[in-house]
Amino acid sequence: MAKAILFDSTKCTACRGCQVACKQWNNLEADETVNTGTYENPPDLSPRTWLKMRFNEVEDDGKLAWLFTRRACMHCTEAGCVKVCPTGAVYHHEEGFVAYNKDICSGCGYCVDACPFDVPRMVGSSLTGKKKMEKCVFCADRVTNDQKPACVKTCPTGALVYGDRNEMIGLAEQRVDKLAGQGVDAQLYGKDELNGLHVMYVLAHSPKDYKLPVNPEVSPSVTLWQDILKIMGYAAVGAVAGGLLLNYMVARARMVKEKEGK
Amino acid sequence: MAHHEVERFSAGARLFHWVVTLTAIVLAVTGLFLWVPAFGSLAEDSYSRIIHRVAAVILVAAPLLFFLSRPKRALTFVKHIFTWGKDDIAWLKAAPDYYFGGDEKKMPPQGEMNSGQKLWGVVAFLSVIGFIVTGALMWFAKNSIPAELFLWTTIIHDLCFIVSASMTLVHLYLGAIHPRMTESLKSMLRGKVSEEYAKSHHGKWYKEISESKENGNKEATGSH
Amino acid sequence: MTNHWVDIRNADRILIIGSNAAENHPISFKWVTAAMEKGAKLINVDPRFTRTSSKADIYAPLRSGTDITFVGGMVRWVLNDMQQSTPAERAQKYNLTYLTQYTNAALIISSDYEGPDGSAHPGLFSGFTATPPEKAGRLGTYAKGTWNYASGTHPASDPAVVNNTWTAWSDLDPKCVLRLLWEHYSRYTPEKVQEITGCPQDKFLEVSQTYAASGETGKAGTIMYAMGTTQHSYGTQNIRAYAILQTLLANMGIAGGGINALRGTSNVQGSTDMGLLYHLLPGYLVVPVHTDQGISDYLKRARGVRSRVKPQGLAGDNSLSWWWNINLKAPEDPTDDYTYDLKSNWAKYTVSLLKAWYGTNAIADNGFGFNYLPKTTVGTDYSHIAVFEAMAAGIVKAAMVWGQNMAVGGPNAEGERTALEKLDWLMVVDLFETETAAFWKRPDADPATIDTEVFLLPAAGSYEKQGSISNSGRWAQWRYRAIPPIGEARPDLDIADELMLKLKELYEGDEAAPYREAITNLAWGYRSTEHPDEADPNLVAREINGYKSETGEILTSFITDLKSDGTTACGNWLFCGMFDAEGNNKAKKRDPVDSSLNQIGLYSNWSWCWPVNRRIIYNRASVDLDGNPFDNERPLVTWDAENKKWLGDVIDGGGNPINLAAGGAKNLPFIMNREGVARLWGTTLAEGPVPEAYEPWESPLSENLLTGVTADLDGSPKGKPGFNDPCCYVGDLNGMNQRGAPDEFPCVGTTYRVTEHWQAGQMTRNHPWLNELQPQPFAEIGEELADDIGVKSGDRVNVITARGSIEVVAVVTKRFQRMTIGDREIDHVGVPWHWGYMGLSKGLSPNGSSGNILTPHVGDANTTIPEYKTFLCRIEKA
Repeated sequence: MAKAILFDSTKCTACRGCQVACKQWNNLEADETVNTGTYENPPDLSPRTWLKMRFNEVEDDGKLAWLFTRRACMHCTEAGCVKVCPTGAVYHHEEGFVAYNKDICSGCGYCVDACPFDVPRMVGSSLTGKKKMEKCVFCADRVTNDQKPACVKTCPTGALVYGDRNEMIGLAEQRVDKLAGQGVDAQLYGKDELNGLHVMYVLAHSPKDYKLPVNPEVSPSVTLWQDILKIMGYAAVGAVAGGLLLNYMVARARMVKEKEGK
Repeated sequence: MAHHEVERFSAGARLFHWVVTLTAIVLAVTGLFLWVPAFGSLAEDSYSRIIHRVAAVILVAAPLLFFLSRPKRALTFVKHIFTWGKDDIAWLKAAPDYYFGGDEKKMPPQGEMNSGQKLWGVVAFLSVIGFIVTGALMWFAKNSIPAELFLWTTIIHDLCFIVSASMTLVHLYLGAIHPRMTESLKSMLRGKVSEEYAKSHHGKWYKEISESKENGNKEATGSH
Repeated sequence: MTNHWVDIRNADRILIIGSNAAENHPISFKWVTAAMEKGAKLINVDPRFTRTSSKADIYAPLRSGTDITFVGGMVRWVLNDMQQSTPAERAQKYNLTYLTQYTNAALIISSDYEGPDGSAHPGLFSGFTATPPEKAGRLGTYAKGTWNYASGTHPASDPAVVNNTWTAWSDLDPKCVLRLLWEHYSRYTPEKVQEITGCPQDKFLEVSQTYAASGETGKAGTIMYAMGTTQHSYGTQNIRAYAILQTLLANMGIAGGGINALRGTSNVQGSTDMGLLYHLLPGYLVVPVHTDQGISDYLKRARGVRSRVKPQGLAGDNSLSWWWNINLKAPEDPTDDYTYDLKSNWAKYTVSLLKAWYGTNAIADNGFGFNYLPKTTVGTDYSHIAVFEAMAAGIVKAAMVWGQNMAVGGPNAEGERTALEKLDWLMVVDLFETETAAFWKRPDADPATIDTEVFLLPAAGSYEKQGSISNSGRWAQWRYRAIPPIGEARPDLDIADELMLKLKELYEGDEAAPYREAITNLAWGYRSTEHPDEADPNLVAREINGYKSETGEILTSFITDLKSDGTTACGNWLFCGMFDAEGNNKAKKRDPVDSSLNQIGLYSNWSWCWPVNRRIIYNRASVDLDGNPFDNERPLVTWDAENKKWLGDVIDGGGNPINLAAGGAKNLPFIMNREGVARLWGTTLAEGPVPEAYEPWESPLSENLLTGVTADLDGSPKGKPGFNDPCCYVGDLNGMNQRGAPDEFPCVGTTYRVTEHWQAGQMTRNHPWLNELQPQPFAEIGEELADDIGVKSGDRVNVITARGSIEVVAVVTKRFQRMTIGDREIDHVGVPWHWGYMGLSKGLSPNGSSGNILTPHVGDANTTIPEYKTFLCRIEKA
């Protein structure tokens, strides 16, 4: 039964308990940061920061809004990272989220470039190429033991909820309707994007105001690469090999015949 | 009756060839781990990727060293494989029947490298450059180039593989397996071929080196 | 809080003012979220658009320090709406039973009263005497006689108000409270509000109208406030303004209503309950003063301001007047005053407290040991600010600083750090070496010139010790030790216990030591036979609850069990009843089932709250004269006529509903007030019966735009009554409390907190995950100001006041907007005050970039809480 996390940005106060809970549960060290003129920190996801909150000041018709975006793996159904992973280290769990087996990660980093949300981060040596990928793993160890993900458990306002994906969609659509009734132009982000995200957002503004990609898609070059090029490659090499085998049989037969004919 | 032999490939050329061959095999195999899902597990913990990088360095170093030690020969070789003319068209016309076991005499006399070998040379040369450029980007520019560009770089790296792998099969086959190419492998192992082989397979070249021998000329040919 | 956290969920309207609840109470904010999910509207009023504002339905800006103008404007809006409505409409829009019967709206005030609206003393009420201090002190005092009811003990009421027959203000008695209230606040027009606070009129009106809707019977509005309200030189009056508004709207004593302080630390409620404030004894009894020569003087003094007052002309005819729940002694009664006074609850609580402290050494013959208690000198101030003034003057020679870090958290931080240098010795108890413990070696100090001996005692953290914590809602929740303290760290109780035992030993051995009985005669026994080596918080809790002096039998109710004859001992009458008869501590209860009527979230079996586990105080005001709830959806209490008892929350003051009670027993709902009704008009505060809009000590204006009084900085350098709060405390700190003028310091500075750090930062600035989130101190400024000084986000800036300068990172934001105040444009500069020079995350300048380097040594007129929230500053690129 597919599971999902629902993030209701209208209830989020950006307390960032989720950000710290993720660190605590997954034993991730703190990054050394400085204040760059914002509350937002660390400035970006990193191998040690799988989840962060973004702070967006948006002025809409003279009305100021401060919008908070959860930024972490979106656990896509059509997942660019899963498509390109050569070892299957990144894969779809039966509950629908994008799981990760760090032990078999080859460190190739293809997932980093294939992700429409720029989430996976690599840690290791660029020189030797020995690396591992890091990203939110949906608290797989918790959810497979009837626990909520750490971020969901910590959230005090109920901005984060977790459960069956259909149920989450139901809750979200109810919330969107209620907000619409209050004159808010709300939407559910992630219901159908990329065949359905397993981390969905209730937004009160356009995704752009939250710094989310408006129509996220896996790059067509990934499709070209994984679905077309690979097949072409096998076909080409196979055809050549086959052709050479044929050539051997024919050439040999003809040469033997010629020799016999002399 | 004594068989006379002709020197076809110098020691330096042979060394270079086998170094590149070995390196290419290592590169191809370690690269394949990331291409074929069934082999993916062999790439765990990045060991194959470390080896790939070491081999890549050799792939860059070997031609560089060859060029530094024999700059004229290297340049001549490159010039040679990119020089195409009427003779090559004639080869193209005769090739299908010839390689499928047809009458040897229908193939016009070939130079030091027949058109097919020149074609292979072009493919190999361009592929290696393609591999090195895209490989360098993939190795060193991971965090500086945009994601989309990186994906395309990987695609081109893979295309180079498809093309060069296909051609390598042909090269391997023609070099070592084809029933007509009896001394080809030997020529790259020991550097020599028999006069008959030279006459029949590279007639034009044989004529040149015989005449120059007669004229007492020890000019080096392009295959050294 | 009058109500409690879960109750916020019951509100229809939530006004968060002087608080950034989402930021600083992020977990409890979920109750606001829950209320909004049920349809409540959230209004947030703040100089800055905060994390709370981001969730609000309506955000209204206001200049820091202008709450009284804003809320006074809202009071005016309601009063005006009442008057403009016909009596019938009025009764529909507002709860007039509540207004006329449960408040002093109808009562008549002394004919000698003169308000600030007259020209005789602009900005001041009748009875003022100015006392401009040479060094440190208050600007003035009031004789409050003229503010009282015309008849002190039996105030008359205006039948026009009681019967709702009035249409014009002139229909009311000229000294009727409701009319006086109107005359006072009629000056607070929407135009004035905009002019003084900077809030656009239409936004202010939107707030007023939206919030006033909670005045309808059956609707509830709650006001949540915190330091943004209290940390001003008139902070208490700020709260008073909210209380007046809530009382007019019948929001006191109901589910989803109330005046709700969001306490700033996890157990500050516990600390005030237990009397840790300088002017209190446990249970909000008062400390003795030097003129209390004995307990009889003390009781007589208490009687003076607490004895029963009986309003006339209301349906309710009995004020329970809980502190002094006995009638005044009749003149012909031969009983002496003292014996008579002992009958009051106040006396029962006081004597029981003394018995708890002095045990068998507290007897009737020695006034129960009353004279063992230290007494303050009348006219001397003992508040934090005053203590540091005394320290700077060399009067206070030593200090024990317990879990406080005033080197970061105290006002005029450099002034206070410098004052510490005068001490002979300093003891600091804390989890880390704090800025206070390290004051002598701070970057700006020269240790060679400092003679203070410093003792640093390591303290255990809250998970390393057992005891109770009282939350904002007065719920005392017992907690257990999860892990033992590390190293030599000890729980505070253990440290205090050992210290006292040692002191007792020393005093017992020294016959010549002065007033030694105060220590030697203490009954001090907190070690159990099971744990003879450490103090047991359960024994302390037991004493706080109370027991019979002779037998040790547990007491279970302060209503029936506490006596003033020495037979009972009780450490804090409020907590009498926390234990049950079997000796179980109800603070340990954790029943998560909500069995309250209509599930209004009382959770009466989760922990225990005072008094007597009453979750919402003044709940008697939530029913009509027949005992039926005003609000049928959220019935807080209801009278079960059949079984003749109250259902729901623990009823405030027993007895039948007013209409069903015998004459003389028709109990009015506000039982702690001597007059039994809520005070729209009061006499207990220092600077006025109702709040008046004063300017902060450092104001950007040269004239108070409401009172018309000018700042007169040259003539009144310490402060001008009528421009500023006339009774506020202005410090000196040996000249280190300089006052800045607007031409040099054109911006309004303010200090506040962030979610990621806590108080003076000694715990949070030593935590890598929290430092990762908020690594460095910063100043938030608006985009216009940033442009003016050539600063972009991320640049280093200096924020400067007349008292000091700090270097911080600039955060340029849309959330601070330039405001038009009067005839000038004002910018705010906001600085979090968490940083210092110790810990993993330090400030940027040598002084630790502590926000309080900037703040003044000036305190509220009633509590002396420092004016942290508004001062003058300037900001420059570093």
